[in-house]
Amino acid sequence: MIGNILISVAFIGAVFSGIMYFLNYRGYQNTLNYARIAFHTMATSTILASVFLLYLILTHQFQYKYVYSYSDTSLPLGLLISTFYAGQEGSFLLWALWMAIIGVILQQYTSVRGDLEPRVMAVYSLVQSFLLLMITPVVKNPFALIYSEPFMASASTINTQFLHLPFLADYIFSDRATGQMYVKIDKTLVDALKSAGIGLNDFIINGRGLNPLLHSFWMQIHPPILFVGFAAMSVPFAFAFAALIKNDYKEWIKQAFPWILFVSMVLGLGIMLGGYWAYGVLGWGGYWAWDPVENSSLIPWIIAVAAIHTMLVQKKTANENSIGAFAKTNLVLVILSFVLVLYSTFLTRSGILGDASVHSFVDPGYFAYLLLLIFMGTFIGLGAALLIYRWKYLQQITPAQNNLFSREFALFTGSVVLGASALVTFLGTSAPIFGKSVQIQFYNDMNLPLGILIGLINGFSLLVKWKESDGKELLRKSVFSLISASVLTLIMFFAGVKDFKMVLFAFASAFAFFVNAEIAFKILRRNFEKTGAYISHMGLAILFIGVIASSKYDKSVDVNLVKNEPADVLGYKLVFTGYSPTEDGKYSFNILIEKDGKKYKAAPIMYYSEFNQGVMREPDIVPFVTKDIYISPISYDDGTSTSSSQGTTLQIKKGETVKYGESEIEFVSFNFPTDAMQKMMSGQDFEIGVKLIVKNYGSKYEVEPKYGLRSGEKINEPIKIKDANIQISLVSMSADQDLVTLSVAPYSIDVNNEAPKKEVLAITASIKPFVGLVWLGTVVVVAGFFIAMIRRLKESRN
Amino acid sequence: MKTRYYIGGAIILVFLGLLFYNFTQTNIEYESDFTKVMQSGKVCKASGVWVKEKSYQENIEDRTFVFYLKDAKNNEMKVVYKGTKPNNFEIATNVVVTGKFENGYFHATDVLTKCPSKYEGQNLNTSGS
Repeated sequence: MIGNILISVAFIGAVFSGIMYFLNYRGYQNTLNYARIAFHTMATSTILASVFLLYLILTHQFQYKYVYSYSDTSLPLGLLISTFYAGQEGSFLLWALWMAIIGVILQQYTSVRGDLEPRVMAVYSLVQSFLLLMITPVVKNPFALIYSEPFMASASTINTQFLHLPFLADYIFSDRATGQMYVKIDKTLVDALKSAGIGLNDFIINGRGLNPLLHSFWMQIHPPILFVGFAAMSVPFAFAFAALIKNDYKEWIKQAFPWILFVSMVLGLGIMLGGYWAYGVLGWGGYWAWDPVENSSLIPWIIAVAAIHTMLVQKKTANENSIGAFAKTNLVLVILSFVLVLYSTFLTRSGILGDASVHSFVDPGYFAYLLLLIFMGTFIGLGAALLIYRWKYLQQITPAQNNLFSREFALFTGSVVLGASALVTFLGTSAPIFGKSVQIQFYNDMNLPLGILIGLINGFSLLVKWKESDGKELLRKSVFSLISASVLTLIMFFAGVKDFKMVLFAFASAFAFFVNAEIAFKILRRNFEKTGAYISHMGLAILFIGVIASSKYDKSVDVNLVKNEPADVLGYKLVFTGYSPTEDGKYSFNILIEKDGKKYKAAPIMYYSEFNQGVMREPDIVPFVTKDIYISPISYDDGTSTSSSQGTTLQIKKGETVKYGESEIEFVSFNFPTDAMQKMMSGQDFEIGVKLIVKNYGSKYEVEPKYGLRSGEKINEPIKIKDANIQISLVSMSADQDLVTLSVAPYSIDVNNEAPKKEVLAITASIKPFVGLVWLGTVVVVAGFFIAMIRRLKESRN
Repeated sequence: MKTRYYIGGAIILVFLGLLFYNFTQTNIEYESDFTKVMQSGKVCKASGVWVKEKSYQENIEDRTFVFYLKDAKNNEMKVVYKGTKPNNFEIATNVVVTGKFENGYFHATDVLTKCPSKYEGQNLNTSGS
């Protein structure tokens, strides 16, 4: 109840504040206060609703469907908190929560900067209204009670002391396929429990739990950071939209600038944290798989970064007489980056990518699907309509950009290339909508030349001057970087980077690095606050070099490690020393790695997950400065499996005869006592067999190999016929197909004598050179964004 | 002034041309009719249901995972996947394999298992107990 009320109040508050802000903008002075009160009511309710959900999770209120579906009592605190956003409902609430918190800051920010507040906050409230609508009680309600619709709860989550209650019998079901027992929880059961004096929270004492794939440190930080990025993306959008409403395009650039830097920093960080999660824990083998879910958050990031560059030009070229160059481009890019966030949400939550992505999606239901479409459609429609409406005027006031040889044009070219890269990724990611799918090669082939261009433009754009530049000066300034980059490229060439396009990419990245490093170094002391752009460009160049080295030049082999037997793998000596249980109930497989007398340890993890009904695997990484040794487990064989390698397997149909050596074996009939099945199921002793006739040089033997349980011990003794030099044992039988499978061997061979136990661990071992540069590059990029954001925040005050 | 737009336009056209060429070269169709999969011999994503009766084989030596899929019309197809058994294989309601049909079986480079969603489709028998 409380949750539903809070969400509803928040939703009404958002809608009301949006309307009041808009009216205030249209000249109604007295509505400003209402708008602010409504907005803060919305923010408070959203925050309280989040606190309430967290409270329900922490206190294990399993009568709530969301709490039941994603958490259980065994989770440690950090993971328990992260179940807040493990499902659709909660992640929308998290998004709305960040929107509320950012909104409060934004309200303060806009209220001290001219007449911004009513316009910007009206748009922002509209966005928030849609988000809150998604989680109102009628759509994806995080506070739905478990019995709101009949719900099948696993019997293992129910308090056993109540399972024997007579009226419960009507509610217990079993799944024939898995043998699992379920309790159907609906309104009538809840009423029955109530009249028996049993609280629902005492009845359901555990939840389904969190998917083990998400049991990770990264689950605790990657999604929240990504959602901050998603939420913050609506701020630049609100500024751009507000500019269109007022038909005034100069101020918004300066005011939105720190925000779009913030968005790019946070979203970029969130994306790469996801990459690290995939690489280090989920065992995808790399940090980037061009998975649609990864792509869908990368696309808006690229567009936002493109917008930063053209916004900078507009800011630089604006003066009293002019709004500055690329005013239209900036509006389009900023609106597009927000719309693409919505598109990303649509792709990942509508279930439309079900066949195409490793991330698993639950179809949200028709209503939510439609609402997502309307959400996205509304903002695409509004953005496009307003742009078209203002286009003619914008055309008149935007100054033409004349000089090709200027930083303005270089930055624009950079944005165009970024846009092209976003388009490539967009096209590939959207293909599943049309029932198609692209191979990873598509992204790599198309983005590589664009990457080369980005590296080169990154460098040159900083060497050319604003307005106009001359060639000689450009050449003089680039000498250092060109030479340094050539040297570095040569080094990489001899280290193995031989592919022509990769050499170009390496050169372009190295060039960008040195140009930025030189400038950053020069201004570091005097003008530290201006180093942001150079630092993030350096970071990108470092990241690119990491990508070249790690993705294109990694070495990988599959090996079987026999316990305690050293194996030579990629120049290292690997010894599998056995497995040991970990604290959280998994198994780590310990491997000693040795080279040049130095020893390292790796312990990849495998375990059987009840939740996923399958073996889960986690890699382990031994990081060095120049490379990572990446070990992913494949399988483990403890050597006890009874593969009868010495026997021949025969399949015989009832009534048919098969030749084996000098003998003929006829399958006469099954000996399957009627009560055997029941005994087998209940674990009592039983015996089943098949009647065979073996003929050998005129002799005839009637035999019956058997399979069963005798005083709890499995029996499966082979039938031995010395004179016919044959032994036969029963492998399996299929009564409905009248088929029996036998293992047949010559008499003298001792089939039961197993080879000595050999424990074998199969792994994929890879060496990934310089993968650390990818992470270092990310950190540097983020640091650069941060410095730039602080600088632009100061500027936005004037 | 004008030539600049022409050059820009030409670059964009070339890029778009390359983009769509590459797109059509690398895109893979989804195919749920196995007779078509077997005939075409092209790389595709075939989706079907695992034939439980025929079980599966895991060969540790050559790292293959072999199983049978059938389509809606009960056409069966042997699939050989260079890799290990994917998670959730047994409980998957649908299996999507990427690869092509050659020499009598489907050479899969990727196996994606689709699982019953978390709350729906438990498919219980309603006999009670």
